[in-house]
Amino acid sequence: MQYYLILAGILFAIGLFGVITRRNTVGILMSLELMFNAANINFVAFNKYVITGDLAGQMFAIFIVAVAAAEATIGLAIVLLIYRNWRGIDTDNYSIMKW
Amino acid sequence: MDFQLPEYNLQLMLPEIVLFVWALVVLSFDLATKRKSGSAVGYLAMAGVLITGIVLAFTGHGQGFGQMFVADSMAVFFKMIFLCAAFMAIGSSFGITKDKIVNHRGEFLGLMLFSTVGMMFLASSNELLSLYVGLELTTIPLFALAAFFKDDKLSVEAGIKYLVVGAFSSALLLYGISFLYGLSGSTDLLLMRLNLAASALMDYPKVAMVFVLATITILAGLGFKLALPPFHQWAPDVYQGAPTPVTAFLSVASKAAGLVAFAKIMVIGLFAYYDPFVAPIDWGMLVGIMAGSAMIVGNVLAVRQTNMKRMLAYSSIAHAGYIMVGMLAMNELGLASVGFYMFAYMFANMGIFAVVALIEERTGSAEIPDYGGFSKSSPFLAVSMTIMLLSLTGIPPLAGFFGKFYVFAAAIRQAGSDPVHQWMYWLVGVGLLTSVVALYYYANVIRTMYFGAQTDVPRIEFTAPALTVILIGVIGTVVFGLMPNVVVEFASQIPISDMIILP
Amino acid sequence: MESLILSLLIFFPLLGAILVALVPSNQHSTIKGVSLIVSIITMILSFAVYSWFDEVATGMQFEVNYSWVTSLGINYHLGIDGISLLLLVLTTILTVLCIISSWNSVTKGVKGYFVSMLLLSTGMLGVFCALDLFLFYVFWEVMLVPMYFLIGVWGGPRRVYAAIKFVLFTMFGSLLMLVALLYIYFQYQAFSGEYTFDLLKIMGMPIANQAQLWLFGAFALAFAIKVPLWPLHTWLPDAHVQAPTAGSVILAGVLLKMGTYGFIRICLPLFPDATITYMPWICVLAIIAIIYGALVSMVQKDIKSLVAFSSVSHMGFVMLGLFALNMQGMQGAVLQMINHGVSTGALFLIVGMIYERRHTRMIADFGGIAKVMPVFSAFFMIVTLSSIGLPFTNGFVGEFLILLGAFKANYIYGVVAASGVILAACYMLWMYQRVIFGRVTHEENKKLTDLTGREKLVLIPLVILIFWIGIYPKPFLRRIEPAVKVVLSQVSRASTVQLNEKFELEPVPVYGETGEVLEKTLTDNTGANR
Repeated sequence: MQYYLILAGILFAIGLFGVITRRNTVGILMSLELMFNAANINFVAFNKYVITGDLAGQMFAIFIVAVAAAEATIGLAIVLLIYRNWRGIDTDNYSIMKW
Repeated sequence: MDFQLPEYNLQLMLPEIVLFVWALVVLSFDLATKRKSGSAVGYLAMAGVLITGIVLAFTGHGQGFGQMFVADSMAVFFKMIFLCAAFMAIGSSFGITKDKIVNHRGEFLGLMLFSTVGMMFLASSNELLSLYVGLELTTIPLFALAAFFKDDKLSVEAGIKYLVVGAFSSALLLYGISFLYGLSGSTDLLLMRLNLAASALMDYPKVAMVFVLATITILAGLGFKLALPPFHQWAPDVYQGAPTPVTAFLSVASKAAGLVAFAKIMVIGLFAYYDPFVAPIDWGMLVGIMAGSAMIVGNVLAVRQTNMKRMLAYSSIAHAGYIMVGMLAMNELGLASVGFYMFAYMFANMGIFAVVALIEERTGSAEIPDYGGFSKSSPFLAVSMTIMLLSLTGIPPLAGFFGKFYVFAAAIRQAGSDPVHQWMYWLVGVGLLTSVVALYYYANVIRTMYFGAQTDVPRIEFTAPALTVILIGVIGTVVFGLMPNVVVEFASQIPISDMIILP
Repeated sequence: MESLILSLLIFFPLLGAILVALVPSNQHSTIKGVSLIVSIITMILSFAVYSWFDEVATGMQFEVNYSWVTSLGINYHLGIDGISLLLLVLTTILTVLCIISSWNSVTKGVKGYFVSMLLLSTGMLGVFCALDLFLFYVFWEVMLVPMYFLIGVWGGPRRVYAAIKFVLFTMFGSLLMLVALLYIYFQYQAFSGEYTFDLLKIMGMPIANQAQLWLFGAFALAFAIKVPLWPLHTWLPDAHVQAPTAGSVILAGVLLKMGTYGFIRICLPLFPDATITYMPWICVLAIIAIIYGALVSMVQKDIKSLVAFSSVSHMGFVMLGLFALNMQGMQGAVLQMINHGVSTGALFLIVGMIYERRHTRMIADFGGIAKVMPVFSAFFMIVTLSSIGLPFTNGFVGEFLILLGAFKANYIYGVVAASGVILAACYMLWMYQRVIFGRVTHEENKKLTDLTGREKLVLIPLVILIFWIGIYPKPFLRRIEPAVKVVLSQVSRASTVQLNEKFELEPVPVYGETGEVLEKTLTDNTGANR
């Protein structure tokens, strides 16, 4: 049980680190997926070892997967727009607005 | 395992269903007319919102889908706010649907309606899963809406920033929620509340560590959604870049949705841990610090803005701060004051954004200095804008003042009745001082409109829907300021809703 | 009718404002006419209130009490006593005069100007009538907006700065007041179980000493900014100098009174212990204001800012009289509030008249006006003397009573404050001499025309009031007396220990018929002067 939580924690930390440091927009989106999956692992692990009565945790995980896919779709669409507008998808390109 | 089929009570969900179907109708209507629907599709969408509102008014209270779906006073009140905001946002978007996004009107309006459906589900959710799905249904269409001007760099930038922040905050929120699920053994908010209260008494040390982690990630997630410092940096960029009606919708409806999520998770779910003697981490104090810094950061940074939309973004950060003050006061006034404040804020903010959108369409600028002499060319718009800005400032007898008054009343009551929360006096103090700062920058806009250097502001022609929106804003602001009774009665039902029975 | 009349009085100008707003903005004469008629009707209504007012009864009259926001215990509660009565009449008279005086001087944005004037009038009348703290606060804030526009749009060169400064100062004070108000609200709920903002009900609640000190502080700060009490006066010169003439008149004549009125109506009765504790401090501040205002007035080069600083000094007198906490002092203070409104209002009008002709207010630009404008000089003389406080003018009665009260409270206060009267004579007469007498040194001044009929019409009522109050103040004092008695008896609720320790205050005023005492002393004194 702890191992799963630790694994999730590590995944979450990697994702967090990635979102903050990645320059590439697609890289950021991928890191976000890692964070979602960390939560997924938590849910499933809790459902399996702690709360054995129902399947709420596993259902939650399935919903998260679906929603994350939707989010990624929109994200990639916007990344395409970014590419069209700037000819590049690095975060440095698009920061016109400051303060 | 044997499953028991829950009682569905589908009729409770009627408003959501109507709106959802209507969104599909709007989408297909635009397609069916071969994208030549003109402003008819806009009127269609507005009518849909109106009809949903009527249906909502006649749908009773109750619970459906087991206890997953709740229609109580709180849900109905906030749904009304969402619908009003959607109505006004669509009304002020006629300009851009006419000229700028000729080929995608249906999608624009459809997405807005879908987002509203998400918010309504969120308001009715009584359970973490449906809450999460509602939240995502709210935000995902908004990502697309923010980036809707595909060739406008600012808009695309706003879109990607909003998307990254939105997804990031959802991830944080989810990670926190997963621990809450582990700790309490349920995704049902009421069960969670009870179980957490029990576990707080029983195995405290085991719970403490995990609970601290969960609280912090959840607060960070919600902080991002509500743009509370230190998680606010995205808001000005997104607000400035997004199409103005979308900004309006973001600043009101999505903020209200964030508030509902906050109320559900923190106020209901983590109620047991509000008492700092029980909690391993005093989340009330944490949110208090966030609210205080929101009022300071929002108001102070708003002073130096020259772009109207950006200034309103900072001011909306500040307003979120004020609202959180009311939220933290967990007495019978607290949530009621949040509801009223949000209501007043909605009228004023949507109205102002409608005016801003009109000016932007005509002159292409949302810079405040460009408003000079605006009062001469369009006196009606200038007067309306002044009234709504004064309401946001909190000048009586406008609705905004009453909202502020209500929020501070709740906070002072909490501070006075519970010695643990005496720090809320400080919060009120900060709120008052920063209100004076707010007065400065709102007055600055009024000053520019009336006394500023003359620029050639052309006379702003307004369309019927925009006029309706502005009139709703002004009338709402004035009427609910003079006669707050109706809304107060309604709002004071919130804390005694089915699910939130405060001590 | 009697129960309606206050509401009618308050909201008639608002109705007029809406009416004016509906007139097309290029029909200037219609706009002016409508607003004049509205203000005159308002004035007549206030006279009706004056004549129906029962001068001997204590307590509030013409009371109305309706529930406004039921669930929060906010009521629409109006009522007046003698103090509010006089201020109401003063307000309506000054509004009429202001509208007449700005007949020609306002050229741009005529509609907005008169709408603002009428809205302002509603706010001011409301403050003087409100007996519900929430309602009081609402009216108190409402007048900020029209005043902001009056200064900001129709003011002098630095108008925007002055307008913002005025609003920020006032807003800061009033927000503190809001917090204190809410605190009292919940205290009262804990005390009696009822949520209410009703001033009369809250007056019956004992408040702990410590809390009183804080609450008094919060309210006093809000009111002291408005008065303005030294050292919170810095917004006043800016606002006065930049405001248009009518704005200055209203500002000096009525808005400043709202500060002192707040002290009488809220601070003293609600926080008797704190009043006694703070009394010496406020008296000292008031005396500093008297002397400081006078000294600064003396060195002003601009007539308008001279008058503005003299307001600081005069309002210092009012505060001193109030916080002498005895019958004479307080009666004098209330009367002086009226006097200051009349005299300083008249001074601002006079400054405005000369400014319209010469477009300068610098003392050095004038001289020898007496030869060119004899009627003007005569009016100016009378008003100047009343501002100094010469016997037979209104200023004398007020200042005399205040000094009497101050001496009674502590003779040092009396002595120091009396020097303020002498300083007032210095700066006013010196200014008058430089402007009016001597040779005509500037070519432009030779061509000045004397007052027009309209301008005389504006000044004559004020001159009549100056002499009326100066020679026969009894009708006014009689109306003030019961109200002041009530306030004093409220203050005397302070714990007796503190009373004995700090200050000898008779629990019930024993000076009997103050009118008589005053008349006696007046005749004595005027006799001595001759």
